[in-house]
Amino acid sequence: MADGPAALDGVRVLDLTCEMGSYCTKLLADLGADVIKVEPPGGDPARNIGPFVADQPGPDAALTFLNQNTSKRGITLDLDDEADRDKFRKLVPDADIVVADLPPGRLSALGLGYEALTKLREDIIVTSITGFGLTGPHKDYLAPDIVGVAMGGIMWLAGDLEDPPNLPFGHQGYFSACAQAAAGTTMALYHRDMTGEGQLVEVSMQEALMIAQETAMQAYDLTKAVRGRAGARGALPISIPGIGPYEANDGWIWGYVGTPGGAPWSELLQFMVDEGMAEDLTEEPYKDVIDQLNLRFLTGLAINAEEREKHTPTLQHINEVFTRFCSAKSKWDLYENGQKRRILIGIVSTPEDLAKNPQLEARAWYQDVGGVRYPGPPYRLSETPWQIERPPPKVGEHNAEVIG
Amino acid sequence: MAKQALEGINVADFSWFAAGPIAAQAMATHGATVVRVESESHMDGLRGVGPFPTGKTGHNVSGYYNNYNANKLNLTLNLNLDKGKEMALRLIKWADVFITNITPRVIERWGLTYDDLKAQREDIIAVYQPMQGFDGPHRDFLGFGAVLGPITGINHLTGFPNRAPAGLGTNYPDYVVNPMHTLTAVMAALHYRHLTGKGQRIELSQLESVVASLAPAVMDYMANGRIAERAGNRLPHAAPHGAFPCQTIKVATPFGEADEQRWCVIACFSDEQWQTLKGALGNPDWADARFDTLAGRKDHEDELEAKVGEWTLPQFPEDVMEKLQAAGVPAAVVQNSRDLLDDDPHIKERGYYQYLDHAEAGRTAYDGPGFRLSKTPAEYRTPACMLGEHNQQVCKDILDLSSEEIADLMVEQVLF
Repeated sequence: MADGPAALDGVRVLDLTCEMGSYCTKLLADLGADVIKVEPPGGDPARNIGPFVADQPGPDAALTFLNQNTSKRGITLDLDDEADRDKFRKLVPDADIVVADLPPGRLSALGLGYEALTKLREDIIVTSITGFGLTGPHKDYLAPDIVGVAMGGIMWLAGDLEDPPNLPFGHQGYFSACAQAAAGTTMALYHRDMTGEGQLVEVSMQEALMIAQETAMQAYDLTKAVRGRAGARGALPISIPGIGPYEANDGWIWGYVGTPGGAPWSELLQFMVDEGMAEDLTEEPYKDVIDQLNLRFLTGLAINAEEREKHTPTLQHINEVFTRFCSAKSKWDLYENGQKRRILIGIVSTPEDLAKNPQLEARAWYQDVGGVRYPGPPYRLSETPWQIERPPPKVGEHNAEVIG
Repeated sequence: MAKQALEGINVADFSWFAAGPIAAQAMATHGATVVRVESESHMDGLRGVGPFPTGKTGHNVSGYYNNYNANKLNLTLNLNLDKGKEMALRLIKWADVFITNITPRVIERWGLTYDDLKAQREDIIAVYQPMQGFDGPHRDFLGFGAVLGPITGINHLTGFPNRAPAGLGTNYPDYVVNPMHTLTAVMAALHYRHLTGKGQRIELSQLESVVASLAPAVMDYMANGRIAERAGNRLPHAAPHGAFPCQTIKVATPFGEADEQRWCVIACFSDEQWQTLKGALGNPDWADARFDTLAGRKDHEDELEAKVGEWTLPQFPEDVMEKLQAAGVPAAVVQNSRDLLDDDPHIKERGYYQYLDHAEAGRTAYDGPGFRLSKTPAEYRTPACMLGEHNQQVCKDILDLSSEEIADLMVEQVLF
């Protein structure tokens, strides 16, 4: 399959990751690195996590596992067994990078810690992905994704105030840790290119996520205000027409109308006029408020309670008319025709919408490999294109060719 | 002391908001020289968005902007003037990496396409972060983070099924997923350039970058025709798995003392963890054989969550976490910004937050590195760049202009 060069051609990675860390090594593998996934006998436990292809559980049918292990080769070793550890050690001199998501201290206990590995290959790069990093009082805490997103501050911000904090979908703690780890690992590789020096790359899932608190950290640092959950309103103090989720006749859309970069609210009004659904919004007092409905106006409302109260009934009416407009139309109609007018409206995509998204289709984004359709490249490199070079390995598929 | 990883790398940062500036800041804190290009007429929108330090206003004090722009030099260039474009191309000649998340239309108008850049610097690595790509029917669709998130599918999938698809309450993809995918691609390209001398063009469609991280749900539709719905805090293969209410505490706020509902999370991925949790709960009568298996706990999950919540309610989440973690059950505090800045002993000991003195904003906190390199760690040397702060320095030292030329550029409002 490989025709052109890949960015990480010739870079060998020993991959000691399971569910938490395997997206990191997928990123390296799809960029061309020769990633050898080392699984325990019986395979990575993530092979048992659904959903499965055709809803049939099986070691080669777990969709999460499949997606996170493309382009890798796979071997099985029991690292609790000294003979197998020896086999692993024999691979290290030809490896550039070792990536592991084992708990802190576990590699060292096996005699495979960073110092031990440097004795086998002096300039080795070792990447450690854990819940809390390798030092500190919480380093040994059990850290599934939900623990990371809770301790990293992003769960506190998600959801309605009436509900418990929301779990971000899709193991975003793991993904964030892996994206940070891939960036750190490739940066360490570049440093080795320039200096010949390897090093340890340490990623804490908690720290990997903290910058995703958006402005919550600064709000507390600068004003001692703790930003909380505000549901659909986000950071805004009141409901603003055209901002947030609206229900279409077949799903949802999301508006961000009146903010910089997009057309002003008056353009949305024109959209509604053209569709014969503006009701009385072209009259006063609505028209006058719509003409000034921009971020400056909203900021004014945020800091001035008197202004806010004065305008609230008007804003509420505008919101109701817009809500009626949305509920009469389909989500794709509002999204595509709104965007053609440069109005900031997004579709709230379901997985079906994503699978059928005309933009992703036009760019031939999804990839069919081994009878399974995969998400495509997160980035496109013109000289060294991303590609899935091979389907994920079966358990121990490459034992013979890698360890003989 | 080792050189930093990116010492000697020059970055022309034509990005704004978050996805571009965060990637460029990670390069800057690892030793690259980063020149952030803005202008009075086209300044970063985050400069106008709070939070601001109490009692301070102006373009240079936004905490939102400042958090992503440490260690950078700032050059104001009016790219609507020919001479401004000329200066931009001069900066490109100097740059190893160019990065922007400005829309394809504006890129073309300003003459900053890959071909334009390559003519100045053959081996440049040019990074574009359009919302949806430089081609395709939705190429010119708009979408800051607030609109992009819903389009990527994360809003549909996050939250409780009885609520509107509110998403994560932030422009989530902007802060880690997109900037760190970007940085990974840039570093791979720098590695390739080191070996071959060849630069390249990198295009990160923000939509594609985020959908890549929501793979299982999309694959489930493509493989099985199933449209996953919001499932709150539950997972199919764990129970309990959720957030539980803890004791309300009194906290100081800018508006006086207020109540704060506290929360913890608890998760059991195995029957063994459940038995341990049951022991910690005091083996109550309700926790009978119905709950012994995952299937049983899933069948009675409403009751399970209600009972666990009754147990956590009078407790502090920190105590729940310590008790359960010591016993071997995953548990944690749902932390907020105050917890993280003031109280988390682990974050303190690891020194995650960085504090820098800024001429206008004062001493403020910055997010630290998302990854730690043992021999070439990130360094936060200078606070966020102010608008035009380094115009003279960049013109003189990087663009190699004479004092007369710089004066002309100022008078002609090119440096503006």
